[in-house]
Amino acid sequence: MPRLPYSLLWKARAVDHLLPPLVKQCRDVHAAQNELRWLRAHADTLSRPNSKAHDGLLRKMVEQRSTGMPLQYILGTEFFGDLEIKCRPGVLIPRQETAASVTYLAQLLQRAKNLPSQLHVMDLCTGTGCIPLLFQHELHAARRDIQVYCLGVDISTKALDLAKSNLRKLQKTEPAIVPNLMKFMRADILKEPDNDVPSVLPSLKAALELNRKPKQWDILISNPPYISPSAYWKTTTRSVRGFEPKLALVPKAELGGTDTEQGDAFYPRLLATAVEIDAKVVLFEVADLDQAVRVAHLARKTNAFDGIEIWRDQPDQDDLEQVPENISKDRSCFPIIGAGNGRSVLLYRGVGASWLGMPAPMQGTLEQQQVSL
Amino acid sequence: MKVAPWICRSCLTRISRSPLRRLARFQSTTSTSESISPALLARARTIASEQKELTEKLANGFDARAAKKLGQQSAIVNALQTWDKANESVTELVSLIHDPTTDAELRDLAADDLGSSRTALAEAAKSLTTSLVPIHPFAHLPCLLEIRPGAGGSEAAIFAGDLVRMYESFCNRNNIRTTFLKYENVNGTSEAGLPLSEAVIEVESENAYGLFRCEAGVHRVQRVPVTETKGRTHTSAASVLVLPSLQENSLGEADFEDPESDYYVDLKEVRVEVMRAGGAGGQHVNKTESAVRLTHLPTNTVVSIQDSRSQSKNKDKAWQLLRSRLAQARREKREDEIVAMRRSVVGVAKMGRGDKIRTYNWGQQRVTDHRSGTTVHDLDDVIQGGQTLEKVMESVRNWLIEKDVEAMIAEEEFAKK
Repeated sequence: MPRLPYSLLWKARAVDHLLPPLVKQCRDVHAAQNELRWLRAHADTLSRPNSKAHDGLLRKMVEQRSTGMPLQYILGTEFFGDLEIKCRPGVLIPRQETAASVTYLAQLLQRAKNLPSQLHVMDLCTGTGCIPLLFQHELHAARRDIQVYCLGVDISTKALDLAKSNLRKLQKTEPAIVPNLMKFMRADILKEPDNDVPSVLPSLKAALELNRKPKQWDILISNPPYISPSAYWKTTTRSVRGFEPKLALVPKAELGGTDTEQGDAFYPRLLATAVEIDAKVVLFEVADLDQAVRVAHLARKTNAFDGIEIWRDQPDQDDLEQVPENISKDRSCFPIIGAGNGRSVLLYRGVGASWLGMPAPMQGTLEQQQVSL
Repeated sequence: MKVAPWICRSCLTRISRSPLRRLARFQSTTSTSESISPALLARARTIASEQKELTEKLANGFDARAAKKLGQQSAIVNALQTWDKANESVTELVSLIHDPTTDAELRDLAADDLGSSRTALAEAAKSLTTSLVPIHPFAHLPCLLEIRPGAGGSEAAIFAGDLVRMYESFCNRNNIRTTFLKYENVNGTSEAGLPLSEAVIEVESENAYGLFRCEAGVHRVQRVPVTETKGRTHTSAASVLVLPSLQENSLGEADFEDPESDYYVDLKEVRVEVMRAGGAGGQHVNKTESAVRLTHLPTNTVVSIQDSRSQSKNKDKAWQLLRSRLAQARREKREDEIVAMRRSVVGVAKMGRGDKIRTYNWGQQRVTDHRSGTTVHDLDDVIQGGQTLEKVMESVRNWLIEKDVEAMIAEEEFAKK
């Protein structure tokens, strides 16, 4: 990380004496000013303004932030779309890019005319529960006629506790969130369902049976750990490495394979799950365009999907930047939508195409499906 | 020796002038020909092909702007189809007549038909030209008539009062509602009967601006005024100002969906940028940056908001700000347009008797409109706002359309070069 010029720190100090430690983290005076404003507002809610306790609290929070602690952990919340989601150390902080993809998917589905009256949505690696909460909020607010039944699955009990607490908090303020239609469940999604020895941690299939959940799901969303070990050290910021759980970022080392294979470790299992639960629409978040193309190729190999799309950070915006040369070759294979970094892969099949407003799949593939059914 | 008899010079010039020449009218161009300018025809054809594209576009997805355009152009396309049909039938008939193999009976029938087909073609050509003329953007609005005396002292003030009564009774006859926003006589009171100082009439019906647009300008009067003691004819003038009445509620202020509204913003014309630090994004960073920047591409208006921690709240605020900024800009532009219009209608130097658009001559009991060149002789009916006034106004409206057509042809030809 380049050294900050002293002039910048002096300039920050002239604005506010609490600013320089924040500038060290933000690398930018404007961003630091915003953060200080939010921290101050948070301190205002916790203690009486202009009191000694207030000053001490604010100073402590700035100190915490200067060590690299994410602002979201200090303030305890992060905005995900319209929702304010609680955050706690030990659970991954929701990301804006995820919210953009989920919102866009919900917007596409809002226009669908032939949605079933109850839509089953499963989110794997749910963390704070932000994805099912936002999805239900977005879709149910626009389509009152449809019940959006959501299930969030995670391996971490900390995450599940937080997700349930988020549900309790949001059901009070958001009318579109229905607590009866929002469940969270613990399972190990990497465990093969066949060699399932009874243990503390059941596989997804076993957990579905155990909790008497339906076996078929319409939509599968997942933001799994997708960072390879080398990328973890190279591309993640210090604040992510030092404070956010590695479990939610990097797939476990015992899965083996090369560095890239370890980064992609979740996707083969996720694709298999999508086929098992008969998902019509599938959305996976990925690290970048390269991984998106790899996942798209994997999905094509399964022969289960009629359509594959790659979404960028902002799928609702037109692409303004040039696509790098090496990827433009693959562009002919998969449509790439939006602006920014490659962010997610969308798969659909059968009736899912009409839900998303995509042209209906070819007659041939439909017949093949009917034969296989 | 033969000597040519002496003829006075003025008689000679009179002989040399052809008697027909005096009948020719130069002031107006009432074209009733069946031909249509090739430039205009080409324009109509491009519009028709454009229409096809638009229809295809609308079949794929709804777009408010495209739908509106389609609606506006449908009249042109229909007129073009009628013209094509009429043109075809005329050519067929002509070829039938000129064909030596046609038997005499058929030829007679064709000759009979040709007359009616020709008139149909002429009508079709006329309606096509008219449909090509863009409708004035404010034509559908109600309007304000402002009448003030011009040069000519108290006689002008009396005549201005006559004009006010003329328009009032014209509206009454045609069942158009009017309200006096202002009526002030020379004494500064609103008592009727005295010479007028200023009157503002609001014509509340829709399309009123389109109806009264042609009335704007200086109206000249030639008569022996009531105030004249020695029986001399005076020439005075009164000015009429016609402005579209832009009521706030008629524009649907807060309606974001209506393309007519000031607050309407086409989503496709706005670039949304969320500030993201360069690099991988996603799980790799936990940025707190929530700033949103919107750029309205046609006007290059930029709005950037970073107050809230919630990106979606920032986005909502940014949209609100962008809409109100664009609406403000549009309102200002429209107001500028109105100011320019006001200046062009009655400039400071254009209030005199010379820049008249119409003359009311009591001595000859005639009304002449100097733009369309129409002269009517039923002055009393005009002043009472009757059928004759309607006739004069109609002629001016046609003249305006012809002017627009000429301008359009010139424009097309210029564009071709």
